[in-house]
Amino acid sequence: MKKQPLSIKIRRTAQLVFLALFILTILQATYPFQPWLPPELFLWADPLAALSTQIAGRFFEPLFLIALIVLLSPLVVGRAFCGWICPLGTTIDVTDHWLSRKKNRSTRNLLKIKTVVLVLLLLLALFGIQLSWLLDPLPILWRSLGIIGMALFFLFSEGIFNGLYATGIFSDVISNLQDKITSYLFPLSAPKFLNLLIPIIIIVVILGLAKISRRFWCRNLCPLGALLGLVAKFSPLQRFVNQESCSSCAICRKKCKMDAIEKDFITTEKSECILCLNCSRDCPEKAITYSFHAPTRMQSSVDLSRRSFLGTGIAALLSSGLFAITGINPTKTNRRIRPPGSLTEDNFLERCIRCEECVRICATSGGCLQMSFLESGLAGMLTPIAKYRLGYCEYNCNLCGQICPTKAIQPLALAEKQEWKMGTAFFMQDRCIPYRLNQDCLVCEEHCPLPEKAIKLTTKEYIDPETGTKRMIHYPYIDSDLCTGCGICENKCPLEGEAGIVIYREGEERKIA
Amino acid sequence: MDRRTFLKTGVLLTGSVFFNRTPLKSQDVTSSNLVIVKNGSPAQMAEKTFELLGGISRFISKADVVLLKPNISWDRRPEYAATSNPELVSAIVKLCLNAGAKKVIIFDNSCNDARRCYPNSTIQEVATAAGADVRFVRENQFIETPIPGSTSLHSWPIHREVFEVDKIINLPILKHHSLSRITIGFKNMMGLTGGNRGRIHFPFAEKIVDLNRVIIPHLTIVDAIRILRRNGPSGGNLKDVENLNTIIAGTDRVLVDAWSAKVFGLDPKSLDYLQLAHNAGMGEIDTEKNPPMTFSFT
Repeated sequence: MKKQPLSIKIRRTAQLVFLALFILTILQATYPFQPWLPPELFLWADPLAALSTQIAGRFFEPLFLIALIVLLSPLVVGRAFCGWICPLGTTIDVTDHWLSRKKNRSTRNLLKIKTVVLVLLLLLALFGIQLSWLLDPLPILWRSLGIIGMALFFLFSEGIFNGLYATGIFSDVISNLQDKITSYLFPLSAPKFLNLLIPIIIIVVILGLAKISRRFWCRNLCPLGALLGLVAKFSPLQRFVNQESCSSCAICRKKCKMDAIEKDFITTEKSECILCLNCSRDCPEKAITYSFHAPTRMQSSVDLSRRSFLGTGIAALLSSGLFAITGINPTKTNRRIRPPGSLTEDNFLERCIRCEECVRICATSGGCLQMSFLESGLAGMLTPIAKYRLGYCEYNCNLCGQICPTKAIQPLALAEKQEWKMGTAFFMQDRCIPYRLNQDCLVCEEHCPLPEKAIKLTTKEYIDPETGTKRMIHYPYIDSDLCTGCGICENKCPLEGEAGIVIYREGEERKIA
Repeated sequence: MDRRTFLKTGVLLTGSVFFNRTPLKSQDVTSSNLVIVKNGSPAQMAEKTFELLGGISRFISKADVVLLKPNISWDRRPEYAATSNPELVSAIVKLCLNAGAKKVIIFDNSCNDARRCYPNSTIQEVATAAGADVRFVRENQFIETPIPGSTSLHSWPIHREVFEVDKIINLPILKHHSLSRITIGFKNMMGLTGGNRGRIHFPFAEKIVDLNRVIIPHLTIVDAIRILRRNGPSGGNLKDVENLNTIIAGTDRVLVDAWSAKVFGLDPKSLDYLQLAHNAGMGEIDTEKNPPMTFSFT
């Protein structure tokens, strides 16, 4: 490693500190939930999430005012957020280091894509279609580290612990250690996530773009970068080249992560420069400095022509229109069970940015929430739904509503949550053991957590047609008024595969925004 | 044979060394084998129970590793009577350690998340304070164990500590249960097992008896201090809880369950699993012929 000047050291330290902070916020999203740092912090500070959700959902969330600081920061320090703070940017810097060390192609003609992406995202938000999940760097990284990272961490930590435990040496010490860690951080057994491949593909593509150029995502695709870039046009913090010492060696331009330097090596595209300061380090003539000056108005590469703005607008109109008229077969949404406290479906989809905070915290407490695929249509991709064969809604838990950054899941007091109806249980009489085999079972009834159980029993005499022997059998049935659809019955049903009792969204309660 | 099977087999072989352990026979001792103690504080009643059973030294030897199995299966506060009385757990831990036990291990393969049940039942806190080693249960700790003489359940994953500890004390709480009508000592042993435990529920009587053929507690102490009358075993309604302030304990696990059923108000002989267990020679079911030694603090 080369010796770095102080400015680079400070910038790298800042990047690592913010990435560490980001990971710390993720680690807060766990049962037992005693956060000393809000898990939603970075998402509240995300101007893109703030705009897209509040525009789509037509609401005002005071906590999103934090994002205003980030949104206005370019008026002082340009796109420093991207170069110094954004944890995805830092992650990309790290992976770029491995993937595109020698390659750094110029991608000038692609710069505008991110503005198109931004305009498209905000226009679609206006029509109530939320695309932040696919395009907003902070939710993308939150779920990549929070869900994929969690799953990977478990795979390895559990493997190591199990391996050590199986050797039989110091097994007490090992299981005690594992218990200690478990008490504060992780669930008891490895969480399993459905449709994990989708977020994996998204993040792998974003990081893999390093094969084309450095910071390809930040340069050409990131709508948050485009948004900050538009503001950064007015930034007073600028790169200056001492024209007398400049030897036009082109090193700064070739090495620039963001391809922000013009062919004259003097002019800098302010909406592209992320103030990483590498050029001042790499300049053999030490001709590059940064200082504050009154900004001059200039045409920026992120500006869209009227023509392309219009084109984007038409594309947004068309696609949202097509979304609006695309039908979803209602029978497919039968089992689309939303977390307790969820807003009405349209509102929910408008606000949910698929950061998967709820899915993560649920995985440490009950574990029913999963990322959906097409259960609620294309617009509902990766939204949380309860899958009860993988987990159940813990009676004494209301954490998903506590940590939803956009309040798509409204916070519920525990007493309210315990009576909240997510759906209703139905017996599948051709699977359920008492009905099918005329034998007692009652595992579902045993687990029903309600003070007055929603699963009731009728006791009937059964005469075996072959032997003629009589026995009394308890046949369970549902009191639909009592049932909250928490799904512990479906989860604990001893049948293999599909349960003999199934929760449908019939009777589901939803919050009105 | 893959690595996993290899390791499992190794553990199984090691476990089988301890497998031939038999419970204390009733004829080994002269003092009473069944006691009912009432109306004291949990600590007083625990101490009296051991005293009447012939002293704790009858059960705990120096340097014994003891597995104490309370019911910590539900995410409920202790007053809901879904989980064993924490003060009683704490008192028994202290008595065992004072009697020279090297370690008292406590765990339960709970129905709700153990990370919720353990603290909410307060057992984790008080038992740890009393000196117990309170642990979580993990899937890799279970050993698929053949059940000799079984009628319905021929093998099942059982926690390896069951075969490694010196003594097992079963500490169930007396509760209503729709399937078995009542849940006491036999059913509490399910917390030492893994696998798809719902499958043990049909046919329940045969399978729970089979399970208890290989999991053999040296002593069963039934917590009937607060009992759950209805909506068991998970409860959740204080109206279903009744104060009996009673402990039923003994070495004959069938008889302990039988007397507990009687205390609850049921005819022990009407309980299928108890009848089966009795027929299998696991203990006495007749409460008339086997009266307890009773003691009341008031």
